[in-house]
Amino acid sequence: MKKIITIILAISFIGLGSSQLASQCNPDNFANACIPKLASGFNFLKSYKVDGEGGKDKVEYSYVFTKGTQYMINLCASGAATDGIVVSLFDSGRNKVATSKINGQFITAIAYPCNATGIYYIQYTFDGSNSKCGGSALGFKR
Amino acid sequence: MRIVIIGLVAALILASCGKGKKPDEQEFLNSLDSTKKGPSIDEEVINGILQQIPSPLEISVLLKQSGTKYNSSILNTPDNTSKYNSNYKKALNLGIYGTDLGYTNIYQQNQDGIKYLASIKQLADELNIGQFFDMETISKLATNSKNLDSLLLVTTQNFNSINSYLQTQGRSNLSVLLLTGGWLEAVQITCQVAGKDPKNKELKEKIGEQKIILEQIVLLFSFYKEDENMASLLTDLNGLKAAFDKINITYVHKEPTSKVVNGVLMIEDNSTTTIDVTDDDIKNITTLTNSIRNKIAS
Repeated sequence: MKKIITIILAISFIGLGSSQLASQCNPDNFANACIPKLASGFNFLKSYKVDGEGGKDKVEYSYVFTKGTQYMINLCASGAATDGIVVSLFDSGRNKVATSKINGQFITAIAYPCNATGIYYIQYTFDGSNSKCGGSALGFKR
Repeated sequence: MRIVIIGLVAALILASCGKGKKPDEQEFLNSLDSTKKGPSIDEEVINGILQQIPSPLEISVLLKQSGTKYNSSILNTPDNTSKYNSNYKKALNLGIYGTDLGYTNIYQQNQDGIKYLASIKQLADELNIGQFFDMETISKLATNSKNLDSLLLVTTQNFNSINSYLQTQGRSNLSVLLLTGGWLEAVQITCQVAGKDPKNKELKEKIGEQKIILEQIVLLFSFYKEDENMASLLTDLNGLKAAFDKINITYVHKEPTSKVVNGVLMIEDNSTTTIDVTDDDIKNITTLTNSIRNKIAS
C-alpha cells in the first residue's frame, strides 16, 4: 500500500515540477518590453515570442514585407544584450537577407528598407544562449 | 489507508481538471454559431499563414504620405453594426472597422475614430472578445492628436491580442474572417483612391502586390470549405484571384549589403520586384473588390 502512495506522490511531484519548469520562460514579457525599444518613427506591427525551451533549435515567424517600406526587428532578452539569441531574415526564396550576429558581435536590432515585396521569414536561433528565452518586436515606417 | 489513497487520487483528478477550459471560455466556444466545423488541416499551419497577413495600417500610412486627402465616404459607415446578425458577418466587419479605425487614426480624424471604436467594441462584445479593448484608455488617447503614436500602438496591440486569443482557443476561423475583412477594406480604400488618381504608379503597384496576400487568404479559406459561409466567400475570392493572376510580379535577388550604425544593423536591399499591372487590371480588381466588400458590409 505504501508503494502505491509513493508512486502517486512521485507522479504528482513530477507533474508539478514539469509545469513549473514550463513556466520559467516568459517570452511575453520580453516581447512587450521590446515594443517601446523600436526606433523613433517606427509604428508597431507585431511582437514575437522567442521560447527555445524543450530542445528547440530555432523559432520562426513569417510576414509579408512590402516594397518601399522600412522595417525594424529588435531583440530583447535577460540582461542588456541578446543572451545569444540571433535573428536572421530570409526572403521568399529562403535567401539570407540579414543576420544579427556580425563578426562575433550580437546586434539588438535590424533595420531593413524593403525593395522587394514578398513573404519573409524571421528566424530566431540560439548561439550560446543561457535561457533560450526572449522576445522581439517588428515595426515599420515609410 | 484507503481513504488516503482515494484522497490523493481525487486531488490528482481535480488538479488535472483545473488545466481544462474555464467556464467563460467554454461559454465563448459555445456562443460561436459560425463555422463550427473545424479546418481540414492542423491549426498551427493556419496560424502560421495568418501571421503573414500585413497590417492594413501600412496602406493607410502610404495613402497619407502620398498626399491623399481624408475621405470618410469610402469607409463602411459605423452605423451598420445592427445589420450584422451572424458571427460570420460580425468577425468580417470587425476586421473592416479595424481598418477604418486605423485610417481615421492616421488622418487624426478623432471624432470619426471614436464612432468606429464604439462599433468595434460592440461587435467585439457580441463575439465575446470585447475584453481586449480598453475603451477608457483608447478614448482618452483618441481625444488628443498628440497621442497618435500611443493610440496606434494600443489599437494594434488590441487586435493582435484578439487574433492570438482566437487562435489559442482553436477558433482560427474567426481570426481568418477578421483579417480578411481588414484586408478587403484596405484594398477597397486603395482602389477608391487609385481611381481618383490614375497616374499614381505607387498606388497601382500597391494594389498589384496584394496578389501575394490574396494567395495566402485563398489558401486559408480552402481549409474551411465545409463551412457554407466561408465556401461562398471563397468562390468570390477565387474570382478576385483570377483578376490578380493577370498581374506579373518578377523578383530579382541580389546579395544585400549591411553596416552597423549606432548599434543597429542597417541593411541595404539590392533585390527588386517589378509589378506589371495595367489600368484594366486595376478596374477589374476595383469592381470585384467593391462587390465582395459591399456584400459583406451591407
